[in-house]
Amino acid sequence: MKHFLFLLLVLLSAKLWAQQKSFPLDDNGKYIYYKVVDSQVISKDSLMLRAKAFISKHAKFIVTENVSDSSIAAKGRTVIDKTVLVASHPSGELKYNFNFETRPGKYRFWFNNFEFIPYQRDRYGNYVATTNIGTPLERSPSKLAAAEWKAILASAYLKTEKIAADFQKYLATDRKPKAKKKEEQISTKKW
Amino acid sequence: MKKLLSAIFTIASSACVFAQEAPTSPLEFSGSVDTYFKYDFAKQPNITTSFASDHNSVSLGMIDLVLKKKTGKASFVGEISFGPRGQTQSIPDEAANGSSFHIQNLYVNYDFTDQFSMTAGYMGTFIGYEVISPVGNFNYSTSYLFTSGPFQNAGIKATYKFSDKVSLMAGLFNDWNVYSASRGVSSIGGQLMVSPVEGWTAYLNVLSGLSGYGYGTIEDLTTSYQITDKFKLGLNAANYDVDNDGGGYAGVALYPQYAVADAITLGLRGEYFKTKDVGTTAGTAFTSVTLTANIKSGGLTFIPEVRLDHNKDLPFVKSNGMSVPNAGQFSLAAVYAF
Repeated sequence: MKHFLFLLLVLLSAKLWAQQKSFPLDDNGKYIYYKVVDSQVISKDSLMLRAKAFISKHAKFIVTENVSDSSIAAKGRTVIDKTVLVASHPSGELKYNFNFETRPGKYRFWFNNFEFIPYQRDRYGNYVATTNIGTPLERSPSKLAAAEWKAILASAYLKTEKIAADFQKYLATDRKPKAKKKEEQISTKKW
Repeated sequence: MKKLLSAIFTIASSACVFAQEAPTSPLEFSGSVDTYFKYDFAKQPNITTSFASDHNSVSLGMIDLVLKKKTGKASFVGEISFGPRGQTQSIPDEAANGSSFHIQNLYVNYDFTDQFSMTAGYMGTFIGYEVISPVGNFNYSTSYLFTSGPFQNAGIKATYKFSDKVSLMAGLFNDWNVYSASRGVSSIGGQLMVSPVEGWTAYLNVLSGLSGYGYGTIEDLTTSYQITDKFKLGLNAANYDVDNDGGGYAGVALYPQYAVADAITLGLRGEYFKTKDVGTTAGTAFTSVTLTANIKSGGLTFIPEVRLDHNKDLPFVKSNGMSVPNAGQFSLAAVYAF
């Protein structure tokens, strides 16, 4: 029983902690997701190549705007889901700016200028954007829309955190083409 | 028993391996429920457009359930509704046989490439501005154009997307609003979508073939433009000619909407609609103005609405039973989408 209560307490704490995660504000009072990563073993050029490769790999969702020898500016979007029991459906789209800069021994990246575009079910049962004009995530919603906006903010943070984790993992991984493994052959002539 | 379990395990494992080969989206589940109160100023049902038909009654719309899944390039949508709006009021011929539900969408789709896809099954019609589901409409009552046009088309269609700004659809369809064709695959239809500027989308639609009115051709323009973050303008214009002087209709509806607050949008629907002469029987013309508010809180939308209709041929009645040219109603609907 004690163990059960302890487990319940841990789970509840984890849930509350997860709910509290939200974007900090930058110097302009806008939401930002900002990371500086120490990377002593990977050269600056390799980091740039890997960052470009990450964007190319996700070209449907991130498009490069500007590139220099040590920085990339891009615009991206990701779909936010609404969960109903175990199933879910898209509730909207999060648009963002993505910036990446590298220096010897470290790099930094950040997401900002977040905008939300709500989706609505169309006549064919598909979820599509209701407008092309995004609403900045920093807006103060009315009382009627407050709960829904809070859920959108939480989902936006989790999605951004996931993209950031994928990006960091991608930059930390060497993707040299592996030698093709020879397929195993079994001869039935000799036995 | 052991063999059966082994077989099930083998099939499940194979399915799992197969599924891992293609990217799979989770099963999407969504839907809506709606209910309404309507008070007709003539103290009896008077305006004959679809839905919100009961006078002085808290009545049901429908419960609508949608499933969608995509595995690799293949996807399906299944949408089913229960209740007057999605059932007897949408598909009377099925109701006559005592149906207890109405399939809104039931189709499979395959994306051959990013540009080209094919869809087969029973689909919401590509004609018109308004739809059966109250979630897809701003106004709760419906226009004469919607009421007179097709609700659904069963068939097979191919869509080619030239770019995000232009796409073309062509398809072969059954007659309107039926699960199976009464006279074979009798209609041909097409849709050109253009998006000249960001936020403005226009659909030019044609459907020629069999309907409840007979053989005929309908041309339709449906467009909407999000001009600013607060103001949106929609337009629907259609012309329908039934062969051999069988009548038809023509009309235009304008839908300006303005967000007055974060959760409150006001919208107007102004419509002119005319039925065409059938033989020696003259057609008749309606004008209609509907003022609607959408007040949103989470998944719930309250829709208060006032509607005034006019027809000089006196199709409406007063509370004392006298024929009059004008009709009016107030309704309050609650729609919850999940």
